[in-house]
Amino acid sequence: MSHEYVPEIATDRDGNQHEVQGWQDDFYGGKLGFWLFMFTEVMMFGAMFLTLAYYNSLHPQDFLEASASLNRWLGGFNTVILLVSALTMGLGLLKMRAGDVKGAKLMIWATILLAIVFLGVKAIEWTAEYNHGVFLGLPAMQGGHEGSMPFGKILFFGMYFTMTGLHGFHIIIGIGLMIWLLKRINSGKVSPEHHILHWNIALYWDIVHLIWVFVFPYYYMIGAGITVAGGHGGH
Amino acid sequence: MVDTNNINYEVEKKGYYKVLIGLLLLTGITFIQPHLFMAEASFVPQMIIAVIKAYLIVIYYMHLKGEKLIIPMVWFTLTLVLVFFVIVIGIDVANFQFGAESYITAPTAHQ
Repeated sequence: MSHEYVPEIATDRDGNQHEVQGWQDDFYGGKLGFWLFMFTEVMMFGAMFLTLAYYNSLHPQDFLEASASLNRWLGGFNTVILLVSALTMGLGLLKMRAGDVKGAKLMIWATILLAIVFLGVKAIEWTAEYNHGVFLGLPAMQGGHEGSMPFGKILFFGMYFTMTGLHGFHIIIGIGLMIWLLKRINSGKVSPEHHILHWNIALYWDIVHLIWVFVFPYYYMIGAGITVAGGHGGH
Repeated sequence: MVDTNNINYEVEKKGYYKVLIGLLLLTGITFIQPHLFMAEASFVPQMIIAVIKAYLIVIYYMHLKGEKLIIPMVWFTLTLVLVFFVIVIGIDVANFQFGAESYITAPTAHQ
């Protein structure tokens, strides 16, 4: 069997053929590939939301009461944090495209800082919930005994910790990606002429934001209109 | 190679800030909606607001405006997720045979 090198040929719009040296400048291909990845994210979270909606249809009152007991102010604060971080990430990409590399790096650092604030607030929130006996594995969330929550609330909080946890994991991955991006910029591998990596990481950050746009109202706001005694959210 | 460097930073920046203001306003509405209307049934208005916010993010922040190939892909995927999961889950739920051992129905059903 022959192992002879067979060059890959690309044809330009005038019909001229060129030997391909690499795909690094295939901006549209890179972007399209990343969108395909993002669709897998949509499918994963989409399936979770549909599961949540199904559980909700089985236990509507428990869901409203559980939602009312969450701390809306911390959730709302994190919503604004993510909103501003989407702006800083977007402005960073704009600066890169306009040739302002230093400004782009500053904006990426600002986004990282906001992401850390988001995680800090989430940690405060989860700690408060743990101290109120609401966390995965704690007795109140184990069904079938006297101290158990109503079954619908167990489902609500089970999904809440799973989905906000998975979302938080995406935030941590995002911080890692941004640090990697900064390294690539510093080494000159990402530049105003070659910024597809920056573009795709900005897209990643937008999808992380987009998921939160649905997570926040579904968990924190659907029960905001009802008054529940004994809520642990401090409001 | 696609030229994505030919931009007017100041003009584009203004667009980003306009979208930010829109998103902040919608977030504000999210908070006051339960005090204004449909307090007992916030789910529908909250999800409508979320969809409007998502539209702004996808079109402007994710640069989908004017994309000829990716927009149909987005619709295709969303439809696929909805149709596939709703139909599959719907059929499954309609023919649910394991209520007695289920972990998604109330524990009383186990007895």
